[in-house]
Amino acid sequence: MKRLVPLLITAIGGFVLIISFFIPAWQESGEVVAVWFDILASIAFILGGGNLLAVHLKKISDRVAGWGYSGVTLLAFLVTLVIGLLKVGTAPAPQTEFFGETFAPLPVAALPEFSVPGSIPVREEGGRVPASVRATDPPQLSEASGRLIFRGWMTAAQKADLLGYQETLTWRSQVEELAELARPPAELRGKVQFYPEHGVLSFRGVMSGADREQLEELFASQPAGLEAVADLYRRSQSVTELSGVSPPPGFQIPDAASGFVELNAGTLAVRGPMSEGLRRQLAVDWLHPDRVRPMTDEQRAARRRELEALGPPLTDEQVQVLATEFDGIWIPEMLIQALNTAGLAAVETKTYRELLAERDAGERNLVATKPKGEDVQLNADQEAAVQRYAAEPAMTAAELEAALQQAGPWLPSQSAALSNFLNEQPTVAELDRKIAFKLLRLHRKSPSNPPPTSAQLDALLAETRLRAAWGWQVDELFRRSHQTKFPWSGDYSSPGSPFDWIFRSIFQPVTATMFAMLAFYVASAAFRAFRAKNVEAVLLLGTAFLILLMQTFVGVLLTEHLPDWLSALKADNLKRYLTIIFVTAGSRAIMIGIALGVVATSLKILLGVDRSYLGSGDE
Amino acid sequence: MLEQLAQLDRRWVFLAMGLAIGVPVLLQLEFPEAPGSQARAVFEEIEKLKPGDRVLLAWDFDPATEAELGPMATAFARHCCEKRVQMFFITLLPVGPQMIEKTIENVVRADFPQLVYGEDYVNLGFKSGYEAVIKVIVTNLRGLYTTDARGTNLDLIPMCQAVQNLQQMHLIVNVSGSYPGTKEWVQYAATPYQKQLRMVAGCTGVQTPEMYPYIPQQLRGLLGAIKGASEYETLVVERYLGESPDPKYLEARRRMGPQLVAHLLMIGLIIAGNVVYFLQRRAARA
Repeated sequence: MKRLVPLLITAIGGFVLIISFFIPAWQESGEVVAVWFDILASIAFILGGGNLLAVHLKKISDRVAGWGYSGVTLLAFLVTLVIGLLKVGTAPAPQTEFFGETFAPLPVAALPEFSVPGSIPVREEGGRVPASVRATDPPQLSEASGRLIFRGWMTAAQKADLLGYQETLTWRSQVEELAELARPPAELRGKVQFYPEHGVLSFRGVMSGADREQLEELFASQPAGLEAVADLYRRSQSVTELSGVSPPPGFQIPDAASGFVELNAGTLAVRGPMSEGLRRQLAVDWLHPDRVRPMTDEQRAARRRELEALGPPLTDEQVQVLATEFDGIWIPEMLIQALNTAGLAAVETKTYRELLAERDAGERNLVATKPKGEDVQLNADQEAAVQRYAAEPAMTAAELEAALQQAGPWLPSQSAALSNFLNEQPTVAELDRKIAFKLLRLHRKSPSNPPPTSAQLDALLAETRLRAAWGWQVDELFRRSHQTKFPWSGDYSSPGSPFDWIFRSIFQPVTATMFAMLAFYVASAAFRAFRAKNVEAVLLLGTAFLILLMQTFVGVLLTEHLPDWLSALKADNLKRYLTIIFVTAGSRAIMIGIALGVVATSLKILLGVDRSYLGSGDE
Repeated sequence: MLEQLAQLDRRWVFLAMGLAIGVPVLLQLEFPEAPGSQARAVFEEIEKLKPGDRVLLAWDFDPATEAELGPMATAFARHCCEKRVQMFFITLLPVGPQMIEKTIENVVRADFPQLVYGEDYVNLGFKSGYEAVIKVIVTNLRGLYTTDARGTNLDLIPMCQAVQNLQQMHLIVNVSGSYPGTKEWVQYAATPYQKQLRMVAGCTGVQTPEMYPYIPQQLRGLLGAIKGASEYETLVVERYLGESPDPKYLEARRRMGPQLVAHLLMIGLIIAGNVVYFLQRRAARA
């Protein structure tokens, strides 16, 4: 019995795999067997680990020769296993942490229901509704009494999935209508959300009393919902403090954050979890940093003089570095182009319900887009305002926008484009930092260029250093205020984790060294053992010479001057003949031989003739 | 003298090999590279791809063979990024995820920050089971892969939603240093589904001869060792990277310098060994 069961498993698995290869109808069975093989293989890993422990512990216990190596092996095995399994020192995966949000578990059944007339269509090609709306228990999407029902608030991804489920106008109109209904109340939109894959209710930022009341009203008949709201309120009110902070001169808490961020006597405190947006506001945006503007020749020369006043005159290559960076700054024509592009009338698409209404009204040629409006392009006065902004450092972005609005027609999309364009430009501090590092790199690459002096570096990097120091403190508060959602979600080998350190600092160099040592042993063997003792050995030697030469530039160098009538002897051709004719033929012969052997051996195993793989046979 | 040579301490050979590799590395010796037919075949197969085509990048190598295969993996990834294809990274080796991560970090995130995870590239990670994994996913991807390496459900990853099996890939690119590797991908994916699947590969020098019989039907092109990587790298650099590419895209060519000197040393050692052998034999006859 001990041998019969494995024998049957082997035979059945083997024959199913063979049949599934030739008969498509058996394909699924072949997959099942292969998956089972995978499961059994993972169990084999456990057995292998146990065996490793047993063998090496015995060696250590018996103090056999080389037992110290067994100790090292066991130590390495156990350390790696523990660190990997327990994910020691691994940070949670960022995409599962939802920074700035607070979570509370909530069963999907507690969520409000929304419905529209309709039903879930059956697709001709089969297939269930998208996983994103059916993975919960009960599923978020269902149908009853001629109505399409959605439980909870539909996310953009769920809506996209449902729209893609079927292409009919009727279905898409229903989904569109349902998506519009299945949303939180207007006041809570953007704050509250339900994540079906995690089964949690989420609240972004600090929950106010009014928010809480609205949520409690929403879950009035659901104790689980009320409990989740109370939990969220409590968590979102928690205060995190960081003492001993030293903000940069002139630091002010942004108005938008003044309700939940405080700075008192060197202690920075935040209520609720800090979002990434708030972190950016506190660390960078509060300063309203100057963005780079186009520079005139005089401004460029002045900048160069400033640097030269703090060190030796700049070399030609250093001047070129400066010029390259200044040339990369935007020019007024780019901003004008961006504003004109934003002024092009957008093509507005009709909703599916509008299209359905048109179809029901008898329209046969449905057009998905609405008639295009008029384009708004900058006039001469507006272009002049842009030129003025580029030339006058004292003019602010707000003043530019006001001037543009006064000078001619102006669209909100252009206002957004203006803001985006200016905010995408690097700050003056970033440009200075780039110049500093480029000058340092230039010195490293060509030492004839002197490195920037300390004074020059101080001037170029002063603001960057200031911001970095403050940024680290804000980052620390961000980290402390975060409420970890899934502590084990991180990858055990993520960069910076102890496992990653073991891999990079020990495993990688050790395995690379082991492989590299082959070169030394092969060289030694080439000198000692590679002898032309007979004709076969001479052929082997000749081939080895050719391959060794052809794998390098020497082969090309030695044969490139051969005349055309001897082109067959050129390196590339010789290599091709060798590989296509001799190597391929030899490999095929070996491969066919092996394949025949594999067939014979496999049949013997599958039919139970060869049972050596089952062990000694002692029952 | 003859006796001394015959009894030469092997440590002198080791020293010579160390110098043959170390000196060119320090001197940064580089030589021009003329792409051969196989490198061109591989390059053209990727060139044929259209933006949005699906490419499976199977990174079946580990740190031991990274010196030989890392540069070609980098060049493959760069080429695929340039072609704007959808990249599906996968590995059958336990230490393969680190190799994938390195490629993504050095090429995709560093030089193509606009590419979005889940839309332009995805890391399916490692799955144990060797060729059994290939056997299953070539007909049913979700039979073994329900999530990507980050644990996200494949149904929630836009570029994976429509992928049911590997036959929907427009190309398989395999970089292989051991078992399982190119041979298994050819046997279990490219051969049974020759009409649907195209495949190119890059192997270590030791594996390369075993793969020649598969060319060109099952394997459209093959990069053999650092030489093949260097030729392919040259093609990618010439087409896409211009005059002064980032040094990471010239890594294979940089490694050809030490290889040239090491090969010459090997030839010298074989000749020297045989001279000693024949002189000893003649002396013995006399």
